Formats: sequence, C-alpha cells, structure tokens
Amino acid sequence: MGTEYRVMGLFTDENRAVSAIEAIKDSPWPLRRVHSPVPSHKISDALRLKKSKVGYFTLAGGIAGFFAGFLLAAFTASQWNLVVSGKPVIALVPFFIVGFEFTILFAVFGNVAGLIHQMQLPEFTGLEEYDPRCSGEHFGILAACKADELEGLKAFFQTRGGEINIFSEKQEHP
Amino acid sequence: MNELTFAKIDQTVLDTLKPPDRSYWLTVGILFAGALAGAACWIYQILTGIGVAGMNNPVGWGTYLINFVFWVGIAHSGTLISAILHLLRAGWRNPIARAAETMTVFAVCIAGLFPFIHLGRVWLVFYMLPIPNQRNLWQNFQSPLMFDVVAISTYLTVSSLFWYTGMLPDLAIVRDRATGIRKKIFTVISLGWTGAHEQWRHYARGYLFFAALATPLVISVHSVVSWDFALAVVPGWHTTIFAPYFVAGAIHSGLAMVLTLMIPIRKLFHYEEIITVKVLESVAKTIIFTGLIVGFAYGTEFFIAWYSQNPVEMAIFKYRPTGDFALGFWIMVVCNTIIPLLFFFKKIRTTIPWLFGISICVNIGMWYERFVIIITSVSRDFIPHAWGLYSPTMIEFGIMLGAFCLFFFFFLLFVKHLPSVSMTEMKETVEQGAGHGD
Repeated sequence: MGTEYRVMGLFTDENRAVSAIEAIKDSPWPLRRVHSPVPSHKISDALRLKKSKVGYFTLAGGIAGFFAGFLLAAFTASQWNLVVSGKPVIALVPFFIVGFEFTILFAVFGNVAGLIHQMQLPEFTGLEEYDPRCSGEHFGILAACKADELEGLKAFFQTRGGEINIFSEKQEHP
Repeated sequence: MNELTFAKIDQTVLDTLKPPDRSYWLTVGILFAGALAGAACWIYQILTGIGVAGMNNPVGWGTYLINFVFWVGIAHSGTLISAILHLLRAGWRNPIARAAETMTVFAVCIAGLFPFIHLGRVWLVFYMLPIPNQRNLWQNFQSPLMFDVVAISTYLTVSSLFWYTGMLPDLAIVRDRATGIRKKIFTVISLGWTGAHEQWRHYARGYLFFAALATPLVISVHSVVSWDFALAVVPGWHTTIFAPYFVAGAIHSGLAMVLTLMIPIRKLFHYEEIITVKVLESVAKTIIFTGLIVGFAYGTEFFIAWYSQNPVEMAIFKYRPTGDFALGFWIMVVCNTIIPLLFFFKKIRTTIPWLFGISICVNIGMWYERFVIIITSVSRDFIPHAWGLYSPTMIEFGIMLGAFCLFFFFFLLFVKHLPSVSMTEMKETVEQGAGHGD
C-alpha cells in the first residue's frame, strides 16, 4: 500500500491549461479532475467529454408531464360528466393546454432530477481537494502521483506556467 | 475604459455584498412598513368583506386583477432576457440577466397574491386544487381560469428553479471568498459546486434545456392570462389578437421595469463597467420594438371594431378614448407607444435620466393598459341599463401600495445578499471575447 499525492496545477490562461491537459494524458500521472471558472469547450474537447445524458431525464419528464396533465383534466371532467358550452366532456383543445403546461413543468422537474443525478449534487467531499481560486480566475488540473514522483509532477505544471497546490496525501487502496 | 478581467468582475460583484449601511436598512424598513400596510388592508378586507373594495356590478374585476396582469407582465421580460436571449446568444443580456430573473421570481410571487386577494372568501382557495375531497367537487379544466392556475404555478416553479440553477456557480464564488457563518450558509446553498469538468458538462446541457423550455412557457403563460379575458363574451375582450398583444405588452412592461431597477443599481453598486450604457441602449432598442407591436395591437383593435361593424364592439371602442375612462386610455397610448419612440434618438437612449424617465412612463402606461382593458369593457357591457362606473377605494390603493413595497423589499434584500450580476456569465462573455456592449 503506497501514498498517493494529489497535485493541482493552476493556470490563469485557458490555452495553457488545455495544453497541460493534452500533455498530462501522455504522462504516467493519472488526471483526476479539471476545475474551471467558466464552461470551456476547449477543455471539453481536450478531455473528449461525451454529451451529457441530462436530456433523457428532461424528455422523460416532458412525456410523463403531458399525459399527467391531459389525464388529470380528463379525470376531473369525467367526475362531473356535464356538457359545458357545448364542448364534449373530454375536450381535446382545452385539455391540450393543461397537457402543455404540465409538459413544461415535468420536463423541468426531469431536467433538475437529471442534473442532480448526473452532477451528483449535493456533494461536499469534492471541496477537500479543491482550490478556491478555481472559482475566480484559475483553471485547476488535479493529477495524482506517488511520493517519489511528486517533484516531477510539480515540475510538469511549473514548466507550463502553472502554480502548484499540493493536497494532503491519500492512502491508496491495496 | 479598463479591460474587464475575471478578478475585476468578481471584485465588483462581491463588493455589493459587503455589510450595508444604515440608509439601506432604513429603506428596507420603510418598504417593509409599506408591505405591512398592504397586509393590514387585506386583513381588513377579509374581516369585513369584499365590499370594502370598489368592485360592484357591473365591474366585478377591478384593481386586484389589473395588478395581477401587471405583475405577470413584469415577470415576463426576466424569462425573455434569461432564456430567449440566451438561445439567441445576445451577449448584452449577460450583465442584466440575473436581476431580470430575480425580478421575474418576485413579480410572479406578487402576481400570485392578487387572485387570492380578489377572492371574497380566500379561505376557500383550496377549492382550486385537484385533490380528492368529501365535497365530490372537481375542477373544470375547460375554464381559462383553471388554465391560469396551472400556468402561473408552472411559471413560478420553473422560473424559481431556473434562477437558482443559474446561480449555483456564483454561490460557489461567494462561498470561496466568505468566512464564518456566511461561508457555511453559502457552502450549503451552493451544494458543493466546484466547477469540475463533469459538473460543467451536465450543467451547460441542463441550462440549455431550461432556456429551451422556458421560452415556450413564457409565451404560453401570458397567452393563458389573455384568454381569461378573450374567452369571455365581453365586448373589448372577445378577440383573437389578445394572446400576442398580451405577450408583447408583457415584455414591453418587463423591459421597462428592468431599466427602472437596473439604473439605480448600476449607480449604487458601481456597475458602470459591467452594465454599460450600450447594454441599457440595447434594452431601449428592444422597448422601441415591443412598443411598436403594442401600438400596432391598439390600432388593430380599433380597425377590427370598425371593420366588423358590430355595434357593441364599435360602441366600446368609441367609449374608450372619449368616455369616462378616457384619461386612462390616453395615458396608455402616450406612455406605451408615443414616448418610447423617443428612443429612436441615440442621444436619448444613451442618456441615463431619459432612459430612467421613459421606463417609468412605460410602467405607468402598462398599468393603465390593463386598467383600460378590464374596466372599460365590463363597465359598458351589452345592456345600457346595466352600465356602471368604477373607482378603486383606499383599501385597494393600500393593497396596491403594499404589493409594490413588497416587490421592492424583496429585490432590495436580494441585491445585498446574493450576487445581482451573474459573474460566471460575465466571465464567459470576457472569455469568448464577445462584446457585451463596449
């Protein structure tokens, strides 16, 4: 069982951060996380991130919402079974409006559920290996290394113009 | 002008969250007292009966529903700015999006109060909820009033979730700079956001869906509000133009309220470099556009009344500019369609006092628009012997004042306790090198 160090390279320039990400992928040090103050297409491309699946939750919510809204309106109308203004008891046009509003509402619920599920929030343990500068103007690249590789990893970030933040070591699982 | 940097954006916005001085709390106190006065008027109305309001046959819909429509309208530009302009990639919306979204949330809350206030027996409001009950009564969703319950509740829920989700990265920025109890609070409400790439990947997608869903919602909500009127067979109401007319009017009033709120905030919080004159100018240009649509709608209503040769319809449209409520009609026309045309002059739309003054005029004009639509139509129905007049009582004015105070009270609390400009979106603008109005 060895000791693993977590080293974060902090860059103020997005392009430098991207080139460091590209370079670290060819290095022996595993990349753990990248933090940025803004969403960055360049970083997404460098990390070859796949498209998020949040949309499936949104779609599922929307479909469920339409039927929930329409069926709710149909159910309440059928409880009275009374013709109003010459409209059929199960009137398609007005109930479509209710269905539409419920579509939006449930799609948003699905979207929020998808975000919570996919981003795994709330989650406070991530703050343990996090540099507050990453919410300001720094792009943070967190990589792991063994004790004897620490200097090498520090040098890797420093030569690329990054500042260093070393987090307390973690025990690797045997 | 100095270049905006990430650090400068953070510093400017975080400076607004420093402990406020006495004048701030004094203003908050005055507004709270105003809101309490409104609440006292409402309690008096509940205890005494709805008769303390000026509404009576034939004018059964008075200032409460005027204010309801007014506040729903105010709410609309928040979603226009945050969702529609986000989808259109309009960079100038970034500095004002957060305040506009906040305005939306508070304005919908205020709007949602008015149907309750309008109810004579507010304690029976749960009759509107589709829940199993011993009365065996179920709502009829063929009624536009039930569409409205669904639409407004949906709008409040969606705009609140959109607002909070959009604020997550900014709450983390505040957390990272705060200390003590404040840090603990912001740690909890930022949900542990760290700006990790996995978080951004889902967040950017989710935010896009929020915007895509909020866009049809905003159009549907005020269309539904307009159908409260248009589906009733009342002269002046029963017209198919109402949905687009109401939506354009809502955005017109909401944009004016954005200017009314943002101009003092810009001055007080030294936001001049973030909310540039060019940003305000862009809002003014949009007001010209919505003002022209509203003006076109006013003209179309008169044209259709004449073209139909329907005597009842013609009578109501003769009554509006010349009858008992003619003053309100002309305030509406001048403030909503003529005064905003001054924004065609660059000097006027780039001068802060003019922008502020015209925004106030549009707010007044849009309130009167709802007054004219609601009151003139029901006061002169089909049968002349049932005609009547309407004037609000002090109780109605008190409740209206309370509503305005409550709105500004909430907004004032917000600007001093949460980031009133989206730091993240401003950084994105700077990062992409896109102009936000420089």
